[in-house]
Amino acid sequence: MAGDASDSLADFPMVEAASATRPSPLEEEVVSLFEQLRTPILRYLLSFRISVPDAEEVLQEVFLALFRHLRQGKPRANLQGWIFRVAHNSALKCRLRTRRYADRFSYAPGVSGVMADPGPDPEESLVVRQRQQRLLAVLHVLPEQDQCCLSLRAEGLRYREIAEVLGISLGSVAASLEKSLARLTRAEQV
Amino acid sequence: MMSGNVHLSEHDLILAADGELPARRKAEVTAHLETCWACRERMLSLQSTITDFVRVRNRELNRQLPDAAGPRALLRARLSEAAAAPAQGFSLSRFGFPDFRRPTTSIGRLAMAAGAFVAVILTILGIFQTTVNAEGPKPRASLTPGETRPITLQEVCLYEKAEVISRDIPQDMRERVFAAYGIKSPQKDQFEVDYLITPDLGGTESIHNLWPQPYSVRWNAHVKDKLEERLHELVCGGKLDLPTAQHDIAVDWIAAYKKYVGDDKTQ
Repeated sequence: MAGDASDSLADFPMVEAASATRPSPLEEEVVSLFEQLRTPILRYLLSFRISVPDAEEVLQEVFLALFRHLRQGKPRANLQGWIFRVAHNSALKCRLRTRRYADRFSYAPGVSGVMADPGPDPEESLVVRQRQQRLLAVLHVLPEQDQCCLSLRAEGLRYREIAEVLGISLGSVAASLEKSLARLTRAEQV
Repeated sequence: MMSGNVHLSEHDLILAADGELPARRKAEVTAHLETCWACRERMLSLQSTITDFVRVRNRELNRQLPDAAGPRALLRARLSEAAAAPAQGFSLSRFGFPDFRRPTTSIGRLAMAAGAFVAVILTILGIFQTTVNAEGPKPRASLTPGETRPITLQEVCLYEKAEVISRDIPQDMRERVFAAYGIKSPQKDQFEVDYLITPDLGGTESIHNLWPQPYSVRWNAHVKDKLEERLHELVCGGKLDLPTAQHDIAVDWIAAYKKYVGDDKTQ
Protein backbone atom coordinates (compact mmCIF):
# COMPACT_ATOMS: atom_id res chain seq x y z
CA MET A 1 0.00 0.00 0.00
CA ALA A 2 1.14 3.48 -0.75
CA GLY A 3 0.38 4.50 2.80
CA ASP A 4 3.03 2.09 4.03
CA ALA A 5 5.53 3.48 1.55
CA SER A 6 5.69 6.83 3.34
CA ASP A 7 7.17 5.21 6.42
CA SER A 8 9.96 3.47 4.63
CA LEU A 9 10.77 5.74 1.71
CA ALA A 10 13.96 6.96 3.34
CA ASP A 11 15.25 3.41 3.12
CA PHE A 12 15.25 3.57 -0.67
CA PRO A 13 18.58 4.68 -2.12
CA MET A 14 16.73 6.35 -5.00
CA VAL A 15 14.89 8.67 -2.61
CA GLU A 16 18.07 9.42 -0.71
CA ALA A 17 19.93 10.28 -3.92
CA ALA A 18 17.08 12.42 -5.14
CA SER A 19 17.07 14.52 -2.01
CA ALA A 20 20.69 15.46 -2.65
CA THR A 21 19.88 17.44 -5.81
CA ARG A 22 17.60 20.43 -6.08
CA PRO A 23 14.43 19.78 -8.14
CA SER A 24 14.18 21.64 -11.43
CA PRO A 25 11.30 24.10 -11.99
CA LEU A 26 9.70 21.53 -14.29
CA GLU A 27 9.83 18.86 -11.58
CA GLU A 28 8.29 21.32 -9.14
CA GLU A 29 5.56 22.13 -11.63
CA VAL A 30 4.72 18.46 -12.08
CA VAL A 31 4.68 17.87 -8.33
CA SER A 32 2.44 20.90 -7.91
CA LEU A 33 0.01 19.51 -10.50
CA PHE A 34 0.20 16.15 -8.75
CA GLU A 35 -0.85 17.78 -5.49
CA GLN A 36 -3.72 19.61 -7.16
CA LEU A 37 -5.06 16.71 -9.15
CA ARG A 38 -4.13 13.61 -7.15
CA THR A 39 -7.50 13.27 -5.41
CA PRO A 40 -9.75 13.74 -8.45
CA ILE A 41 -7.57 11.53 -10.65
CA LEU A 42 -7.37 8.80 -8.01
CA ARG A 43 -11.13 8.88 -7.55
CA TYR A 44 -11.55 8.56 -11.30
CA LEU A 45 -9.09 5.67 -11.45
CA LEU A 46 -10.83 3.88 -8.58
CA SER A 47 -14.12 4.16 -10.43
CA PHE A 48 -12.63 1.62 -12.86
CA ARG A 49 -12.56 -0.77 -9.90
CA ILE A 50 -8.84 -1.23 -9.93
CA SER A 51 -7.11 -1.67 -6.59
CA VAL A 52 -5.80 1.32 -4.62
CA PRO A 53 -2.12 0.27 -5.02
CA ASP A 54 -2.65 -0.17 -8.77
CA ALA A 55 -4.36 3.21 -8.98
CA GLU A 56 -1.46 4.82 -7.15
CA GLU A 57 1.01 3.21 -9.53
CA VAL A 58 -0.99 4.34 -12.55
CA LEU A 59 -1.01 7.83 -11.09
CA GLN A 60 2.77 7.80 -10.79
CA GLU A 61 3.12 6.71 -14.41
CA VAL A 62 0.70 9.41 -15.53
CA PHE A 63 2.73 12.16 -13.90
CA LEU A 64 6.01 10.73 -15.16
CA ALA A 65 4.45 10.77 -18.63
CA LEU A 66 3.43 14.38 -18.01
CA PHE A 67 7.00 15.22 -17.10
CA ARG A 68 8.30 13.67 -20.34
CA HIS A 69 5.53 15.40 -22.28
CA LEU A 70 6.46 18.82 -20.91
CA ARG A 71 10.17 18.25 -21.15
CA GLN A 72 9.82 17.55 -24.85
CA GLY A 73 8.14 20.93 -25.26
CA LYS A 74 4.77 19.48 -26.22
CA PRO A 75 1.55 21.53 -25.95
CA ARG A 76 0.55 22.83 -22.54
CA ALA A 77 -3.03 23.63 -23.48
CA ASN A 78 -5.52 22.05 -21.09
CA LEU A 79 -3.09 19.96 -19.09
CA GLN A 80 -5.88 18.78 -16.82
CA GLY A 81 -7.68 17.25 -19.80
CA TRP A 82 -4.43 15.70 -21.00
CA ILE A 83 -3.78 14.16 -17.58
CA PHE A 84 -7.29 12.73 -17.34
CA ARG A 85 -7.00 11.30 -20.85
CA VAL A 86 -3.72 9.56 -20.08
CA ALA A 87 -5.13 8.35 -16.76
CA HIS A 88 -8.21 6.99 -18.51
CA ASN A 89 -6.18 5.04 -21.06
CA SER A 90 -3.77 3.79 -18.39
CA ALA A 91 -6.65 2.65 -16.18
CA LEU A 92 -8.10 0.61 -19.03
CA LYS A 93 -4.74 -1.08 -19.61
CA CYS A 94 -4.23 -1.67 -15.90
CA ARG A 95 -7.65 -3.23 -15.56
CA LEU A 96 -6.94 -5.55 -18.44
CA ARG A 97 -3.82 -6.72 -16.63
CA THR A 98 -5.55 -7.22 -13.33
CA ARG A 99 -9.04 -8.31 -14.23
CA ARG A 100 -9.45 -10.26 -11.06
CA TYR A 101 -9.61 -7.08 -9.00
CA ALA A 102 -12.83 -6.10 -10.70
CA ASP A 103 -14.66 -8.80 -8.80
CA ARG A 104 -12.97 -8.06 -5.52
CA PHE A 105 -13.66 -4.36 -5.38
CA SER A 106 -17.15 -3.33 -6.20
CA TYR A 107 -19.86 -0.82 -5.48
CA ALA A 108 -22.18 -3.79 -5.12
CA PRO A 109 -24.16 -4.01 -1.89
CA GLY A 110 -22.41 -5.79 0.91
CA VAL A 111 -19.02 -5.76 -0.76
CA SER A 112 -17.91 -2.22 -0.21
CA GLY A 113 -19.28 1.24 0.18
CA VAL A 114 -21.91 2.82 2.29
CA MET A 115 -23.78 -0.38 2.95
CA ALA A 116 -20.74 -2.15 4.30
CA ASP A 117 -19.65 0.79 6.42
CA PRO A 118 -19.30 -0.59 9.93
CA GLY A 119 -19.49 2.82 11.57
CA PRO A 120 -22.09 5.00 9.87
CA ASP A 121 -22.63 8.60 10.83
CA PRO A 122 -25.15 8.46 13.70
CA GLU A 123 -26.92 11.54 12.39
CA GLU A 124 -27.59 9.86 9.10
CA SER A 125 -31.12 8.64 8.86
CA LEU A 126 -32.03 5.30 7.45
CA VAL A 127 -33.87 7.01 4.62
CA VAL A 128 -30.81 8.99 3.59
CA ARG A 129 -28.62 5.92 3.64
CA GLN A 130 -31.12 3.96 1.63
CA ARG A 131 -31.15 6.72 -0.97
CA GLN A 132 -27.37 6.66 -1.12
CA GLN A 133 -27.43 2.92 -1.55
CA ARG A 134 -29.81 3.28 -4.46
CA LEU A 135 -27.63 5.93 -6.09
CA LEU A 136 -24.54 3.74 -5.84
CA ALA A 137 -26.48 0.75 -7.10
CA VAL A 138 -27.61 2.72 -10.15
CA LEU A 139 -24.09 3.97 -10.78
CA HIS A 140 -22.79 0.42 -10.61
CA VAL A 141 -25.11 -0.86 -13.33
CA LEU A 142 -24.66 2.03 -15.77
CA PRO A 143 -22.74 1.26 -18.98
CA GLU A 144 -19.07 2.02 -18.57
CA GLN A 145 -19.08 5.04 -20.85
CA ASP A 146 -21.94 6.54 -18.87
CA GLN A 147 -20.07 5.91 -15.62
CA CYS A 148 -17.00 7.60 -17.06
CA CYS A 149 -19.01 10.64 -18.20
CA LEU A 150 -20.59 10.98 -14.76
CA SER A 151 -17.29 10.55 -12.94
CA LEU A 152 -15.48 13.05 -15.12
CA ARG A 153 -18.31 15.55 -14.74
CA ALA A 154 -18.26 14.98 -10.99
CA GLU A 155 -14.57 15.85 -11.08
CA GLY A 156 -15.42 19.17 -12.70
CA LEU A 157 -14.58 18.55 -16.35
CA ARG A 158 -16.59 20.44 -18.96
CA TYR A 159 -18.41 18.55 -21.70
CA ARG A 160 -15.72 19.34 -24.25
CA GLU A 161 -13.01 18.02 -21.94
CA ILE A 162 -14.99 14.86 -21.24
CA ALA A 163 -15.44 14.35 -24.98
CA GLU A 164 -11.68 14.67 -25.46
CA VAL A 165 -10.83 12.27 -22.63
CA LEU A 166 -13.23 9.61 -23.88
CA GLY A 167 -12.81 10.26 -27.61
CA ILE A 168 -16.52 10.77 -28.19
CA SER A 169 -18.62 13.67 -29.44
CA LEU A 170 -20.09 16.46 -27.36
CA GLY A 171 -23.52 15.18 -28.25
CA SER A 172 -22.69 11.76 -26.83
CA VAL A 173 -21.50 13.33 -23.59
CA ALA A 174 -24.71 15.33 -23.23
CA ALA A 175 -26.88 12.34 -24.10
CA SER A 176 -25.01 10.09 -21.69
CA LEU A 177 -25.34 12.54 -18.79
CA GLU A 178 -29.00 13.11 -19.56
CA LYS A 179 -29.67 9.38 -19.52
CA SER A 180 -27.67 8.73 -16.36
CA LEU A 181 -29.13 11.64 -14.42
CA ALA A 182 -32.63 10.52 -15.36
CA ARG A 183 -31.85 7.11 -13.88
CA LEU A 184 -30.32 8.59 -10.76
CA THR A 185 -33.31 10.89 -10.29
CA ARG A 186 -35.70 7.96 -10.62
CA ALA A 187 -33.66 6.04 -8.06
CA GLU A 188 -33.92 8.94 -5.62
CA GLN A 189 -37.64 9.23 -6.05
CA VAL A 190 -38.41 5.56 -5.32
CA MET B 1 -39.29 30.34 -29.64
CA MET B 2 -40.55 29.26 -26.22
CA SER B 3 -44.08 29.96 -25.17
CA GLY B 4 -45.29 29.88 -21.59
CA ASN B 5 -47.11 26.61 -22.25
CA VAL B 6 -44.06 24.69 -23.41
CA HIS B 7 -41.93 23.31 -20.60
CA LEU B 8 -38.19 22.90 -20.78
CA SER B 9 -36.85 19.55 -21.89
CA GLU B 10 -34.61 17.46 -19.63
CA HIS B 11 -31.88 18.12 -22.17
CA ASP B 12 -32.17 21.89 -21.68
CA LEU B 13 -32.38 21.56 -17.91
CA ILE B 14 -29.21 19.49 -17.69
CA LEU B 15 -27.28 21.73 -20.07
CA ALA B 16 -28.47 24.75 -18.07
CA ALA B 17 -27.46 23.13 -14.78
CA ASP B 18 -24.03 22.41 -16.22
CA GLY B 19 -23.57 25.83 -17.81
CA GLU B 20 -23.29 24.29 -21.26
CA LEU B 21 -26.06 26.18 -23.06
CA PRO B 22 -25.18 28.67 -25.80
CA ALA B 23 -25.62 32.24 -24.52
CA ARG B 24 -28.87 33.00 -26.27
CA ARG B 25 -30.50 29.74 -25.29
CA LYS B 26 -29.30 30.23 -21.75
CA ALA B 27 -31.12 33.55 -21.60
CA GLU B 28 -34.32 31.91 -22.84
CA VAL B 29 -34.06 29.07 -20.34
CA THR B 30 -33.35 31.47 -17.47
CA ALA B 31 -36.33 33.59 -18.44
CA HIS B 32 -38.54 30.51 -18.57
CA LEU B 33 -37.38 29.30 -15.17
CA GLU B 34 -38.24 32.66 -13.66
CA THR B 35 -41.85 32.27 -14.69
CA CYS B 36 -42.45 28.53 -14.58
CA TRP B 37 -42.73 26.93 -11.15
CA ALA B 38 -43.02 23.44 -12.59
CA CYS B 39 -39.73 23.68 -14.45
CA ARG B 40 -38.07 25.33 -11.48
CA GLU B 41 -39.14 22.39 -9.31
CA ARG B 42 -37.68 20.00 -11.90
CA MET B 43 -34.45 21.97 -11.96
CA LEU B 44 -34.20 21.84 -8.16
CA SER B 45 -34.85 18.11 -8.22
CA LEU B 46 -32.09 17.68 -10.79
CA GLN B 47 -29.68 19.80 -8.76
CA SER B 48 -30.54 17.77 -5.69
CA THR B 49 -29.79 14.51 -7.50
CA ILE B 50 -26.46 15.87 -8.69
CA THR B 51 -25.58 17.06 -5.19
CA ASP B 52 -26.51 13.74 -3.60
CA PHE B 53 -24.66 11.76 -6.25
CA VAL B 54 -21.45 13.77 -5.91
CA ARG B 55 -21.61 13.62 -2.14
CA VAL B 56 -22.11 9.87 -1.92
CA ARG B 57 -19.62 9.11 -4.68
CA ASN B 58 -16.87 11.26 -3.26
CA ARG B 59 -17.38 10.02 0.26
CA GLU B 60 -17.28 6.44 -0.94
CA LEU B 61 -14.07 6.98 -2.90
CA ASN B 62 -12.33 9.44 -0.57
CA ARG B 63 -12.32 6.97 2.29
CA GLN B 64 -10.11 4.69 0.22
CA LEU B 65 -7.50 7.31 -0.59
CA PRO B 66 -4.20 6.88 1.23
CA ASP B 67 -2.21 9.81 2.56
CA ALA B 68 -0.48 11.80 -0.17
CA ALA B 69 2.91 12.19 1.52
CA GLY B 70 4.36 8.82 0.49
CA PRO B 71 3.22 8.92 -3.13
CA ARG B 72 4.41 12.53 -3.44
CA ALA B 73 7.88 11.64 -2.15
CA LEU B 74 8.02 8.67 -4.47
CA LEU B 75 7.04 10.85 -7.43
CA ARG B 76 9.73 13.38 -6.53
CA ALA B 77 12.29 10.59 -6.51
CA ARG B 78 11.13 9.21 -9.83
CA LEU B 79 11.08 12.66 -11.40
CA SER B 80 14.59 13.27 -10.19
CA GLU B 81 15.69 10.01 -11.75
CA ALA B 82 13.87 10.84 -14.99
CA ALA B 83 15.39 14.33 -15.04
CA ALA B 84 18.87 12.87 -14.69
CA ALA B 85 18.34 10.65 -17.74
CA PRO B 86 18.88 12.22 -21.20
CA ALA B 87 15.65 13.45 -22.76
CA GLN B 88 16.06 11.16 -25.76
CA GLY B 89 17.57 8.33 -23.76
CA PHE B 90 14.36 6.50 -23.16
CA SER B 91 14.94 2.76 -22.97
CA LEU B 92 12.29 0.11 -23.25
CA SER B 93 14.51 -2.24 -21.31
CA ARG B 94 13.62 -0.30 -18.15
CA PHE B 95 10.10 -1.55 -18.52
CA GLY B 96 11.04 -5.17 -19.11
CA PHE B 97 11.21 -4.98 -22.88
CA PRO B 98 14.37 -5.94 -24.75
CA ASP B 99 16.29 -2.95 -26.12
CA PHE B 100 16.19 -3.32 -29.90
CA ARG B 101 18.04 -0.12 -30.71
CA ARG B 102 21.56 -1.42 -30.70
CA PRO B 103 21.78 -4.98 -31.99
CA THR B 104 25.40 -5.92 -31.57
CA THR B 105 25.40 -9.25 -33.34
CA SER B 106 24.22 -10.50 -36.71
CA ILE B 107 21.72 -12.64 -34.82
CA GLY B 108 20.43 -9.50 -33.21
CA ARG B 109 20.04 -7.80 -36.59
CA LEU B 110 18.34 -10.90 -37.98
CA ALA B 111 15.93 -10.96 -35.04
CA MET B 112 15.24 -7.27 -35.55
CA ALA B 113 14.51 -7.78 -39.24
CA ALA B 114 12.25 -10.72 -38.43
CA GLY B 115 10.46 -8.61 -35.85
CA ALA B 116 9.98 -5.81 -38.35
CA PHE B 117 8.63 -8.28 -40.90
CA VAL B 118 6.13 -9.69 -38.40
CA ALA B 119 5.11 -6.16 -37.44
CA VAL B 120 4.43 -5.29 -41.08
CA ILE B 121 2.36 -8.45 -41.56
CA LEU B 122 0.39 -7.76 -38.39
CA THR B 123 -0.22 -4.18 -39.50
CA ILE B 124 -1.51 -5.36 -42.87
CA LEU B 125 -3.74 -7.92 -41.16
CA GLY B 126 -4.95 -5.24 -38.76
CA ILE B 127 -5.82 -2.89 -41.61
CA PHE B 128 -7.55 -5.71 -43.44
CA GLN B 129 -9.52 -6.68 -40.36
CA THR B 130 -10.53 -3.08 -39.76
CA THR B 131 -11.70 -2.76 -43.34
CA VAL B 132 -13.73 -5.93 -43.07
CA ASN B 133 -15.18 -5.52 -39.59
CA ALA B 134 -15.56 -1.83 -39.10
CA GLU B 135 -16.51 1.24 -41.05
CA GLY B 136 -13.81 3.71 -41.80
CA PRO B 137 -14.01 7.32 -40.84
CA LYS B 138 -16.11 8.12 -43.91
CA PRO B 139 -19.64 6.85 -44.58
CA ARG B 140 -20.61 4.87 -47.66
CA ALA B 141 -22.08 7.31 -50.14
CA SER B 142 -24.60 4.73 -51.34
CA LEU B 143 -26.03 4.35 -47.83
CA THR B 144 -25.36 7.78 -46.35
CA PRO B 145 -25.32 10.43 -49.05
CA GLY B 146 -26.40 13.09 -46.55
CA GLU B 147 -29.86 14.60 -46.41
CA THR B 148 -31.00 18.11 -45.57
CA ARG B 149 -34.23 19.76 -44.53
CA PRO B 150 -35.33 23.24 -45.53
CA ILE B 151 -33.58 25.66 -43.22
CA THR B 152 -32.91 29.39 -43.41
CA LEU B 153 -29.61 31.07 -42.74
CA GLN B 154 -31.32 32.91 -39.90
CA GLU B 155 -32.22 29.59 -38.26
CA VAL B 156 -28.70 28.24 -38.68
CA CYS B 157 -27.23 31.34 -37.15
CA LEU B 158 -29.79 31.70 -34.38
CA TYR B 159 -27.04 30.95 -31.90
CA GLU B 160 -23.56 32.31 -31.92
CA LYS B 161 -21.93 28.91 -31.68
CA ALA B 162 -22.70 25.67 -33.44
CA GLU B 163 -25.23 23.50 -31.67
CA VAL B 164 -23.14 20.33 -31.93
CA ILE B 165 -24.89 18.91 -28.90
CA SER B 166 -27.87 17.17 -30.40
CA ARG B 167 -30.39 14.74 -29.11
CA ASP B 168 -29.41 11.12 -28.83
CA ILE B 169 -30.40 9.08 -31.84
CA PRO B 170 -33.22 6.63 -30.99
CA GLN B 171 -32.16 3.05 -30.44
CA ASP B 172 -34.33 1.66 -33.22
CA MET B 173 -32.75 4.08 -35.68
CA ARG B 174 -29.26 3.13 -34.46
CA GLU B 175 -30.09 -0.52 -35.04
CA ARG B 176 -31.32 0.26 -38.54
CA VAL B 177 -28.06 2.08 -39.30
CA PHE B 178 -25.94 -0.81 -38.01
CA ALA B 179 -28.06 -3.28 -39.99
CA ALA B 180 -27.68 -1.22 -43.17
CA TYR B 181 -23.92 -1.30 -42.74
CA GLY B 182 -23.96 -5.02 -41.97
CA ILE B 183 -22.53 -4.55 -38.48
CA LYS B 184 -23.72 -7.30 -36.20
CA SER B 185 -23.69 -6.95 -32.40
CA PRO B 186 -21.74 -3.68 -32.29
CA GLN B 187 -19.97 -2.95 -29.03
CA LYS B 188 -21.10 0.29 -27.40
CA ASP B 189 -17.58 1.62 -27.26
CA GLN B 190 -16.77 0.86 -30.91
CA PHE B 191 -19.07 3.17 -32.81
CA GLU B 192 -21.07 6.29 -32.53
CA VAL B 193 -24.04 6.62 -34.85
CA ASP B 194 -23.43 10.13 -36.12
CA TYR B 195 -25.00 12.64 -38.44
CA LEU B 196 -23.17 13.24 -41.69
CA ILE B 197 -24.61 16.73 -42.12
CA THR B 198 -25.14 18.01 -38.60
CA PRO B 199 -28.70 19.13 -37.77
CA ASP B 200 -27.18 22.49 -36.95
CA LEU B 201 -26.41 22.91 -40.67
CA GLY B 202 -29.77 21.53 -41.77
CA GLY B 203 -29.08 17.79 -41.70
CA THR B 204 -32.02 15.47 -41.08
CA GLU B 205 -32.40 12.56 -38.68
CA SER B 206 -33.06 10.27 -41.63
CA ILE B 207 -31.11 7.05 -42.13
CA HIS B 208 -29.68 8.65 -45.26
CA ASN B 209 -27.87 11.13 -43.03
CA LEU B 210 -26.59 8.71 -40.37
CA TRP B 211 -23.69 6.31 -40.25
CA PRO B 212 -21.69 4.28 -37.72
CA GLN B 213 -18.56 6.26 -36.99
CA PRO B 214 -15.77 4.30 -35.23
CA TYR B 215 -14.17 5.81 -32.14
CA SER B 216 -10.79 4.19 -32.63
CA VAL B 217 -9.66 6.23 -35.59
CA ARG B 218 -7.88 9.53 -35.91
CA TRP B 219 -10.76 11.04 -37.86
CA ASN B 220 -13.43 10.40 -35.26
CA ALA B 221 -16.65 12.09 -34.15
CA HIS B 222 -14.81 14.51 -31.94
CA VAL B 223 -12.72 15.76 -34.85
CA LYS B 224 -15.86 16.10 -36.92
CA ASP B 225 -17.38 18.30 -34.19
CA LYS B 226 -14.57 20.78 -34.80
CA LEU B 227 -15.37 20.88 -38.51
CA GLU B 228 -19.04 21.45 -37.72
CA GLU B 229 -18.19 24.35 -35.45
CA ARG B 230 -15.90 25.82 -38.08
CA LEU B 231 -18.51 25.53 -40.84
CA HIS B 232 -21.08 27.20 -38.59
CA GLU B 233 -18.65 30.02 -37.98
CA LEU B 234 -17.88 30.45 -41.68
CA VAL B 235 -21.50 30.25 -42.79
CA CYS B 236 -22.70 32.70 -40.16
CA GLY B 237 -19.74 34.96 -40.80
CA GLY B 238 -20.80 35.23 -44.45
CA LYS B 239 -17.61 33.58 -45.65
CA LEU B 240 -19.22 30.38 -46.92
CA ASP B 241 -22.68 29.75 -48.28
CA LEU B 242 -24.82 27.12 -46.57
CA PRO B 243 -25.34 24.81 -49.60
CA THR B 244 -21.56 24.64 -50.11
CA ALA B 245 -21.02 23.78 -46.45
CA GLN B 246 -23.68 21.07 -46.63
CA HIS B 247 -22.24 19.72 -49.88
CA ASP B 248 -18.64 19.66 -48.71
CA ILE B 249 -19.32 17.94 -45.39
CA ALA B 250 -21.54 15.38 -47.11
CA VAL B 251 -19.20 14.52 -49.98
CA ASP B 252 -15.97 14.14 -48.00
CA TRP B 253 -15.94 15.50 -44.48
CA ILE B 254 -12.25 14.77 -44.00
CA ALA B 255 -11.34 16.77 -47.10
CA ALA B 256 -13.65 19.50 -45.81
CA TYR B 257 -11.83 19.42 -42.47
CA LYS B 258 -8.48 19.80 -44.20
CA LYS B 259 -9.85 22.62 -46.29
CA TYR B 260 -11.64 24.62 -43.61
CA VAL B 261 -9.88 23.69 -40.36
CA GLY B 262 -6.46 22.46 -41.37
CA ASP B 263 -4.80 19.10 -41.90
CA ASP B 264 -2.67 18.84 -38.81
CA LYS B 265 -5.11 19.94 -36.15
CA THR B 266 -6.74 16.64 -35.31
CA GLN B 267 -4.42 15.83 -32.43
